[in-house]
Amino acid sequence: MNICVCIKQVPDTAEIRIDPVTHTLIRAGVPSIVNPFDTYALEAAVRLKEKLGGKVIVISMGPPQAAEAIRSCLAVGADEGYLISGRKFGGSDTLATSYILSEAIRAVEKRENIRFDLIVAGKQAVDGDTAQVAPEIAEHLHLPQVTYALNIEEHDGELRIMRDCDNGYDIISVPLPAVVTVVRLPYEPRYPSIGPWLESKKRTIPVLSEADLETIDLTRCGLSGSPTKVKKSYTPVRDKHGTIFSKVPAEQAAEKVASMLSEAGII
Amino acid sequence: MNQLNEYQNMWVYIESEGGKAKSVGYELLNAARPLADRKGCELVAVVIGYQVESVAREAVGYGADRVLWIDAPEFASYTTDAFANALVALVEKYRPETLMIGATNNGRDLAPRVAARIKTGLTADCTEIGIDEDTGNMAWTRPTFGGNLMAVIMCPDHRPQMGTVRPGVFRKGAFDASRRGEIVRETCRVSPDEIRTKLIERVQEVADAVNLEEAEIIVAGGRGVGSADNFRLIHELADVLGAKVGCSRAVVDAGWVSHIHQVGQSGKTVTPRLYIAIGISGAIQHLAGIAGAEKVLAVNKDPEAPIFSVADVGIVGDLNEVVPALIHAFREHRKSSVT
Amino acid sequence: MLRGMYNQLTPAVIEMIRSVSDHVYTGAEINPDYARDEMPIYGTKMPDLAVQPRSTDEVAAIMKICYENNIPVTPRGMGTGLVGGAVPLYGGVLMDLTRMNRILSYDLENFVVNIEAGVLLADLAADCLTRGMMYPPDPGEKFACVGANVATNAGGMRAVKYGTTRDYVRAMTVVLPSGEITRMGATVSKTSSGYSLMNLMIGSEGTLGIITELTLKIIPAPKAAASLIIPFRDLRTALATVPKFRMNHMDPQAIEFMERRIVMLSEHYVGKAVFPQELDGEPINAYLLLTLDGPSSEDVDRQIEQAAGIALEAGAMDVLIADTHNRIKDAWAARSSFLEAIMEETKLLDECDVVVPVNKIADYLEFVNEQGRQCGLDIKTFGHAGDGNLHIYQCSNDLDEAEFRRRVDAFFDIIYREATACGGLVSGEHGVGSGKIRYLVDSVGETNMELMRGIKKVFDPKMILNPGKVCAQL
Repeated sequence: MNICVCIKQVPDTAEIRIDPVTHTLIRAGVPSIVNPFDTYALEAAVRLKEKLGGKVIVISMGPPQAAEAIRSCLAVGADEGYLISGRKFGGSDTLATSYILSEAIRAVEKRENIRFDLIVAGKQAVDGDTAQVAPEIAEHLHLPQVTYALNIEEHDGELRIMRDCDNGYDIISVPLPAVVTVVRLPYEPRYPSIGPWLESKKRTIPVLSEADLETIDLTRCGLSGSPTKVKKSYTPVRDKHGTIFSKVPAEQAAEKVASMLSEAGII
Repeated sequence: MNQLNEYQNMWVYIESEGGKAKSVGYELLNAARPLADRKGCELVAVVIGYQVESVAREAVGYGADRVLWIDAPEFASYTTDAFANALVALVEKYRPETLMIGATNNGRDLAPRVAARIKTGLTADCTEIGIDEDTGNMAWTRPTFGGNLMAVIMCPDHRPQMGTVRPGVFRKGAFDASRRGEIVRETCRVSPDEIRTKLIERVQEVADAVNLEEAEIIVAGGRGVGSADNFRLIHELADVLGAKVGCSRAVVDAGWVSHIHQVGQSGKTVTPRLYIAIGISGAIQHLAGIAGAEKVLAVNKDPEAPIFSVADVGIVGDLNEVVPALIHAFREHRKSSVT
Repeated sequence: MLRGMYNQLTPAVIEMIRSVSDHVYTGAEINPDYARDEMPIYGTKMPDLAVQPRSTDEVAAIMKICYENNIPVTPRGMGTGLVGGAVPLYGGVLMDLTRMNRILSYDLENFVVNIEAGVLLADLAADCLTRGMMYPPDPGEKFACVGANVATNAGGMRAVKYGTTRDYVRAMTVVLPSGEITRMGATVSKTSSGYSLMNLMIGSEGTLGIITELTLKIIPAPKAAASLIIPFRDLRTALATVPKFRMNHMDPQAIEFMERRIVMLSEHYVGKAVFPQELDGEPINAYLLLTLDGPSSEDVDRQIEQAAGIALEAGAMDVLIADTHNRIKDAWAARSSFLEAIMEETKLLDECDVVVPVNKIADYLEFVNEQGRQCGLDIKTFGHAGDGNLHIYQCSNDLDEAEFRRRVDAFFDIIYREATACGGLVSGEHGVGSGKIRYLVDSVGETNMELMRGIKKVFDPKMILNPGKVCAQL
């Protein structure tokens, strides 16, 4: 089974801080990681490959430093990795990104002389949080999709997917090739073992830019290919000016609070 | 693509399951109503399912001027292929200017598929929706970087403008049985071979005892609680109020409480009437999970704790004194309200 | 019995204490947690009054009142001790120092930080990091007060590279049992100025004085770190690997060992499987968990390669790399949860915290496991392979308390004696408290015990401070 894993290098959002003076995001010094949901997708892919044979190829669209993220995937079972990077790709929204990635997937298939049976990704990236790119890739490639996977198993050439639902889960079967997005799995992503880890340090990650994606329509890339535009961004100022009791005995404060909430019909 | 001005009206997709609408569709109708009035356009509900006529009628009572209703057995259960085909067919037929979908698991599965097929812009998980004064375009506001940064997005040159909104961000309006609206039965059949995914089994789990997302009142504890043992204070307070227990990530990391109680960006997003934060400092990732709470009560010994900036009511003090006092006070109020 | 020496708290005395502090609790208001620490098997007793002073002056004033009225005083931090050290065995006044939790100032040019004794370890560690500094002592319990860490000379996992708490205390403010306030130590590192009173205080477990403020040494935080999870077929091979790192001029920040059973237990508790349990079909029976740190990620990468080579040559099954922040955190969170996992699963629990020379660990543990079998006890172990500090837990879910106690006492006698015979000591880092006094006597001998008792008398002539602990007559 040949599997393409789409990953994204993201800032570790648990480490993000707001500058107290300018109220802007401090990105300097924030470590970059592979999007956590994608690490589960990769682990699922590697396990399927170990069971059924084939190749696991990681692709990621990003700036040059994203090569590090791809490299770290080689240390945990991915066979190859490609960085999709080019000036004309910058400023892409989810529609443009998914288009570029779908073109890249076809280009990689050609280079590697394979067809992907499965394209898998994490459910969303923790910086953008949109969960849009993978379903859009599925649409561009005219493939069936299953989102919110909690487990992926192979069954007679098809996939059986446990899909997260409000009050439980569904078991969905989907023929290959297909696109699947992963929430989490019944197992954790593996730690790199020293052999593959050392090997991965020696690999160079090939970069595919506009020139390498022969059939790509550049008007559908970058800003010009992005129907959504950011009008403005701001750090949310949280200043509710609520009623704060301070230096007041606990019993008194509690009584006042209970009254307030009671009168407001909250309790 | 057709001319932009050929696109008219505001559409809200009403997700349903087992013949019953999910609340989020009606929440969106309520939020869209004033916007449709401002634009002077129709607010249209889209109902796709099997034996969902009652949902179509209900949507009128929740604010729709018109309902487009598709009803056939292939729509009994959600599948990407059937629903995307149907929704896209309707969009191509009627050309709505705006299309909003509730960001449930299915909504987040459907919306990007539709947006990609139509090749239009989609903005996910909006916390605010509005109309841009300069251009008349929809202005979609959404959090990024775990809620650390808010972005206002527009889709100026493509139609329909699409957006998804999470359940609980907006409130449903009151149902008005006297409202009149047109219900249009649409036909759009999807053949079985077009539906590539098959439902093998549906497993309902026993009602999760920790269904935080639907809780009306949540009492959550943070690092300030001090120890796993001391969490009994949180449980006691929750008991008095009939509330569910939540916690911050720090507490899960410390091993005091199971992650199923975790509220925040990497935990659950909650929208209770009342969120009581005890010994929680208010890290941004936590606040991201409670942005939809109606009222926040915070207890913390540090007057500078960020939680106070989002609290409607706060008590600065030692939670080991304050929580027992709150338990006592709430109990007294319960008693007096019962009598 | 010392009991006849003390007075009961009278309303007059209570009033005097109330005039010093706003946070005084008596009777039913006293938090029941004050009666015990994390090892209730060593006894529980409620104090007659609990007070939470906010300053050295308040501590001194209250201490003075108790001194003049012969009332026993027990100091307490977060109550996470494992030897009954903070239990007010004779009632009296309990002084909870957790409100004295301010980080006062940094002197970065002299690499020190000044804090009140009630600052939590986790808060100090995090605050130092925001300034690019590190407070190296890293005992397992992150929510303990640093003052209490100092009082027990807590060790922790970084001790193998960075040393123990003792190495990082420069100076302290102490309230003596008489109520006098004194300052010991200095900001400078080298001193030869009379007897080291400060070093007596460190590890004295609140029996010589109450530490209210501290000046601690800090170091520049390493720029990069990584952890290695090294699986082995057996514990002996794992432990034999440990000295090889040092011999190859490597200086890991931490080296922990753990056995299969405890890893499985903690993963069940945490709900997350971090450590693999088998490799290519072969079961993994022991692990080493190492942290390497350095000035750059290139340097750390180089260390990883070197350490992996050493481990594989010594017989490791593989070497797994945790080189991202989250991965490192997960690996150590699993390690940090061992004690809680054991506590969660066990009805009756006791603990041996011994230290033996590093090259004797494997033999000693074999001895311990065999003794456990013979005594009919369930034994679980983990520890700091780098310095020979072992945490040995005796567990039972089906014995009754009296029988458990009997077997554990018999077990302790044997294994403490064996530890001393190997050249080790009764407590590596958890202290003596009340629970381990017997073993201290056996371990250090009567001559040294007499010296300790003498010193205690000098500091605390009325014997009111934390009575019944460390060198109390049994």
